[in-house]
Amino acid sequence: MKTEADLLPLSPQAARAVGRLRPARKIGRQIIVILAPFVLYGLFLLYNGVNPWELYVSMVRSAFGDWFGFGETLIKATPILLTGLAAALPARAGLINVGGEGQLAIGALFATMAAVWLLDALPAAAGIPLMLVAGALGGALWAGVTALLKVAGRINETIASLLLNYVAVFLVGYFVHGPLKDPHSFNWPFSPEIARQLRLPVFDGTRLHIGFLLAIAFAVLVWLVLAKTGTGFRIRVLGGNRIAAERAGIRVSLIYAGVLLAAGALAGIAGMIEIAGIEGRLRPTTGATYGYLGFLAAWMAWNHPLRLLLTSFLLGMIAVAGNELEIGSGLPSSSVHMLMALVLFFLMGGARGRKA
Amino acid sequence: MIADILTGALRSGTSVMLASQGELISERAGVINLGTEGCMLAGALGGFATTVWTGNPWLGALAGGLCGMLLSLIHACLVLDRGANQLASGLTLMFFGIGVTAFLGRSFVSEQIVGFNPVPIPVLSDIPVLGEVLFNHDPLTYLSMLLVPALWFVLFRTRIGIILRAAGEREEVLFACGVNPRLVRYAAVLAGGFLAGIGGAQLSVAYTHSWVENMTAGRGVVAVAMVIFAAWRPFRAMLGAYLFGAAQALQLTVQQQGLPISPYFLFMAPYVLTLAALLIVERRKRSSVPEGLSRVFAADADG
Repeated sequence: MKTEADLLPLSPQAARAVGRLRPARKIGRQIIVILAPFVLYGLFLLYNGVNPWELYVSMVRSAFGDWFGFGETLIKATPILLTGLAAALPARAGLINVGGEGQLAIGALFATMAAVWLLDALPAAAGIPLMLVAGALGGALWAGVTALLKVAGRINETIASLLLNYVAVFLVGYFVHGPLKDPHSFNWPFSPEIARQLRLPVFDGTRLHIGFLLAIAFAVLVWLVLAKTGTGFRIRVLGGNRIAAERAGIRVSLIYAGVLLAAGALAGIAGMIEIAGIEGRLRPTTGATYGYLGFLAAWMAWNHPLRLLLTSFLLGMIAVAGNELEIGSGLPSSSVHMLMALVLFFLMGGARGRKA
Repeated sequence: MIADILTGALRSGTSVMLASQGELISERAGVINLGTEGCMLAGALGGFATTVWTGNPWLGALAGGLCGMLLSLIHACLVLDRGANQLASGLTLMFFGIGVTAFLGRSFVSEQIVGFNPVPIPVLSDIPVLGEVLFNHDPLTYLSMLLVPALWFVLFRTRIGIILRAAGEREEVLFACGVNPRLVRYAAVLAGGFLAGIGGAQLSVAYTHSWVENMTAGRGVVAVAMVIFAAWRPFRAMLGAYLFGAAQALQLTVQQQGLPISPYFLFMAPYVLTLAALLIVERRKRSSVPEGLSRVFAADADG
């Protein structure tokens, strides 16, 4: 690799000095990129009468201090990981799927419908897997609309999936206000609770359910498929150069449809896990913003399924801090979105060295 | 009833129309800004807050535009100076806009303003049907109608327009002419943010006269879609935005008539209609994408 020292006519001593300086400057820049958003957000909190130091300490403490807090972080990270995979997998084929939000919602809708209407009396061993399949089916169906529009209608998938998110939210709204409304809800818009045996098993002393193991397993699976199989190779070739892929006889439409359907299924499973693991019933806001967080986690992880484990955990931690903020200091939990956005802005701004 | 829907189409489509004209400028220069949604929200809150403080809706509209511009400055910096991925940056901006406005807007939720009100144009508004549809609106709507032909003229009949479009098609040409394409793009993105902000302000100061968290509900995204639907042409973008507005108006009319259709299907209608519109256009014709922009879509999504 050529450095400035190779190109500029410098004395050997100066060249060595430059060589020593560069890694130090690089690390310095990384530190600034990581710390700056927290400092900025801290100033913002100070202005609003909240002690930022206390918040950050309690954020770390609630994430790592005890098993309950660690579990809460993993609970938040689970859907982010799955919707992150839903963004990362198509991204490797050169598609930008921002429809995780809607795919998750429809997955949750299908899983709830299956649980309430069909699987009510089944034992856990049969009911939970079937509910998972229903969720995956719902998500895949919703992504299938995007895939159809992309492959047959040649509509850009970014716009299509983004618009379908809004349609999905209204569809869920229709069902929880209408056919799927709990008759005993005193007119609140939510579905009946799913049967007790259909809830995911929970670890003692936490709210953490086994869904997060499932999510990690899917991340490893997606990595294996991408890195070790012929299909994964074809996906990566297509993502690298579409024209080369066409010339090599790769069936582009088939792969586009395939990755989108798989992505939808993953996001749909995230929706099912939200229902069976956390909420127990469908609400109009079930899983809201996880789809977007997943996209951003995938982007931060350079669409690598295993790095996504780390970034979704980080975003999960910040999301937990949002709850902390709301309970502890009365600020709306959405204000933590600002911190998330700031982190991402600085990452983007600092990313140039790494071939953006 | 049809006159009602058409009037409503203009009334509720104007915010989308302003934002889509702004996005059109930005995309013609080669930068897609998915953060238009965030810019609109910033404009809606900025415009509303300023109107509450000063009581002057004109200052509100101006402040709304400036707020939108400020937010789009972040996008411009990241994309043009730091080489960030346009779609990721735009999406983050949308997120940022939702978070910031939800937070700062808390105390404005219950505020009330006078804002802009419909000003019927004398004589013209007396024309049956047409007068009511076209000439009985708030001042921002009139201005936005004038904006479209003005933008068309600037884009296709002036030197500035050629420079702007060259930035989106072939930046080498601009280099050869001694114009800095990055400056052109900066200006285009900021102009886009300004118009999106005014669009947002129209929504809160002239249309609903209130501020609600996340009140744009995807209008910014629709505006981006409308630009593609419009094949990057101002008049078609206007048509698309009014189509969206008509679907919104239809929803109100159906509710007033008490027809037995679930409101949720009507809420969906504008978004589905937007998709259908895209589908029709894409079938008809390709390759009207500004060349620089097609690189954004085709680029390796890793970046």
